[in-house]
Amino acid sequence: MDESPRQLIARQREAEPRYRGLESGHRACQGCGEALAARLVTEVAGGDVVVANATGCLEVFTTPWPQSAWRMPWMHSLFENAAAIASDIEAALRHQQRPTKVLAFGGDGGTFDIGFQALSGMLEREHDVLYVCYDNEAYMNTGIQRSSSTPHAAMTTTSPPGRERMGKRHLKKDLLSIIGAHHIPYAASASVAYPRDLQRKVRRALEISGPTFLLVHSPCPLGWGHGGERTIEVGRLAVQTGLFPLVEIERGAVTAVMPLRVPRPVSEYLALQGRFRHLFADEPRAREELEHLQALADHNIAVYGLLGGAPDALDADGADTVRRGGAVA
Amino acid sequence: MKQLTRGAWGEPGSSLACHTGSWRDLRPGHEHAAAPCHAACPAGEDPQYWLAAVQEGDHRRAWERLVAANPLPAITGRVCPHPCEQRCNRGHYDTAIGIHGIERFLGDAALAAGWDYPGIVGPPAGAPRVAVVGAGPAGISVAYHLLRHGLVPVVFEAAPEAGGLLRSAIPMTRLPRAVLDAELERVLACGIGLHTRQALGRDFSLDELRAEHAALFLAPGCARSRPWDVQGVIPAGTRDGLDLLKSWIDVGEVPAARRVVVHGGGNTAMDIARVMKRHGAEEVHLVTASGLPGPQTAPDDVLNIVPRELEEGLEEGIVIHPHATLSRVLLRGARIVGVELVALRKLERADGRRARVAFEGTERILQADLVIPCIGEQVDPAGLGALVQRSGFLRVDARGGVAGACDLYAGGDACGNIGTVAAAVGDGRRAANAIAARLAGAEPSERPRTEIGIERLNLNYFEPRPARRAAVLPVAERDDLCEIEGSLDAAAVADEAGRCFACGNCLACDNCWVLCPDAAVLKIADTASDGSRYVFDYDYCKGCGLCASECPSGFIAMRPEPE
Repeated sequence: MDESPRQLIARQREAEPRYRGLESGHRACQGCGEALAARLVTEVAGGDVVVANATGCLEVFTTPWPQSAWRMPWMHSLFENAAAIASDIEAALRHQQRPTKVLAFGGDGGTFDIGFQALSGMLEREHDVLYVCYDNEAYMNTGIQRSSSTPHAAMTTTSPPGRERMGKRHLKKDLLSIIGAHHIPYAASASVAYPRDLQRKVRRALEISGPTFLLVHSPCPLGWGHGGERTIEVGRLAVQTGLFPLVEIERGAVTAVMPLRVPRPVSEYLALQGRFRHLFADEPRAREELEHLQALADHNIAVYGLLGGAPDALDADGADTVRRGGAVA
Repeated sequence: MKQLTRGAWGEPGSSLACHTGSWRDLRPGHEHAAAPCHAACPAGEDPQYWLAAVQEGDHRRAWERLVAANPLPAITGRVCPHPCEQRCNRGHYDTAIGIHGIERFLGDAALAAGWDYPGIVGPPAGAPRVAVVGAGPAGISVAYHLLRHGLVPVVFEAAPEAGGLLRSAIPMTRLPRAVLDAELERVLACGIGLHTRQALGRDFSLDELRAEHAALFLAPGCARSRPWDVQGVIPAGTRDGLDLLKSWIDVGEVPAARRVVVHGGGNTAMDIARVMKRHGAEEVHLVTASGLPGPQTAPDDVLNIVPRELEEGLEEGIVIHPHATLSRVLLRGARIVGVELVALRKLERADGRRARVAFEGTERILQADLVIPCIGEQVDPAGLGALVQRSGFLRVDARGGVAGACDLYAGGDACGNIGTVAAAVGDGRRAANAIAARLAGAEPSERPRTEIGIERLNLNYFEPRPARRAAVLPVAERDDLCEIEGSLDAAAVADEAGRCFACGNCLACDNCWVLCPDAAVLKIADTASDGSRYVFDYDYCKGCGLCASECPSGFIAMRPEPE
């Protein structure tokens, strides 16, 4: 009997030369950075893992009952306890002497704010868990409320620009430094715009026995106000402006950064996003906040030493280079 | 198995039951647009396509893709001005791909290895015969493509050998005769019947040919120089550039002269200017109504000289007087002692037509003892009769058909086209397609693809890379025979081909596959019908357009979802 087009494509899906941890049919928005990030992370992690997932977009859009988009053991309990659940799973597996890796997933709300205490405890108790924070810089699932990860001056429904303020008054929490201060073996930031770099960091973290942490910048078309087709462009500019530096921290010390060849002005990044639209109004407060964000980017560039080297195949311009038949890096 | 409570669990991957493709209003699709190099090539080559095979290290396949359009790559790689390089998208980024060097490498590789021309099977018994008049690039090209269509070409050439202008007007320093002979011989050996020393109007007539052949292709070239004078004066013994070049190529001699003025702005003018300079002329001036290439000059006003030949000519000391013409010849008795130049421009007149306007008060004198006219050529009307238009050329439609005669086709320089070898090759290919289609009772099918501009590429995924160029012989070492531009080696060719952006075609870089948030791009083991290794799973693609924006080479386009 001849194969129907749908049977053919189902067979092609099964024959794909990579592991799919996150299957199609999930309900993420068009161009979702977080869905892409989770797909990239799970692809590298493989099937021999257990995932504990905090409440958030990722949990909601992947598991609308009775369906699940996950193809690996995965569980959700509450917003605040992904790290605690992961700790317990890891302890149980260790007791059973099983080599299965444990991952914990959370958004920035579940990591920077609500699950922070559980995360700190997990790191302090040295559980062999990779915690991945998909950072889309606000509570997107509940309607775009500001989190402690929301960048300064961004508009959310709870930090609206207006007479009193130009978007969020406070700064983005420097979570990575706090994580680093736990003296864990490995913590890093990554971006969906640099998938090869992201997957390398996942591999690196999974090789280590002990607590590791990955902060993945995941643009949110809905919450940030950009087209779904711009997700990578926005993510790339966050890195290339210096607003979201990609760094690796071991035992509290910065051991590697993705250098910038030519830093882009922050306005290029901000102008793509509706959440920063008020910064382009013709008024002194807007100009001041633009300068403020530029100063924050310059500060990151100086603190992490992102500039000054010769052009490098793995810098923010070179790391995404492709050639016929695949990626260069 | 233990039963979990209802609502507390789900089967792995069960989300596949939800077809999120229904959310989509834009649909991604692979769209093989024409790379600018393809759109620019008068011969109809698709360099992007054969460069891909070079990148894969398969030189033979690259050559086979190339000769599907142009059977003479070793020749055109040397003599073509390569409009493909001028249009190359990479030229807006760092430096255009050196397509000519790679084309030449492939042509030479085929000569060395003796690869068979692909797609040629012996014509079936009783296949229609098509007569071809002229064995220059257009005639050779049409004969080759007729063979590919299973027709029998019969070529008539007035000269003792095939080659046309390639042999009579192109210096050996640009095209070594060993290369010319070898490549022509290989094409002819595919099964082209060639009758040399057969001149139209002398040894046979058009009517005789038409009686014996199913169709005729006329490529007589432009054997006659345009009449030239300066205010009615023609200095005694004046010989035009084409004639001088021919006798220099045949005999190796040129008239002795100290100060030479060449009048004209084409390749013949530059070729003879350089020959005169090498043969002892102290000064060689090239006077042309056209301008030098540059931002100040409109594209249709630039002199028609291969850019690298212009550069080499300037290196050798040729003095160019752009936007000027000869207004007077200064004679002492019958002997020329100088010329008067006057500045001129092509300007739009009150009636809307462009005309050359000389500017009074800009006259100046150049001392000279020889003037060589090179203002162009026209068709020798012998045997062609009324087919030659008042312009001095044959008139044809876009497929090479001569108006009013369904069995007559023409191409090459005789049609007054842009006068390059590649254009002649293209004329031959199009006419062969048209002839084959007519004889089969079908419409010729050549659907042009839209050209892709640099704005459709995503340049974030490329890195600047220095171009690889062949060595050029130093001025002091140039003589009448040695080829001036050298060859690239295989490593340089691989490197240079690797710089290609693959405009409008799949680079197989995996970006769409890696970046799809919905895992709706699948990478497959075999090749899809569009030549790529990726398929869209429209059951799940939500139409976000990320793959299209992040495709480095513009191979993915978003189109409205069909109703």
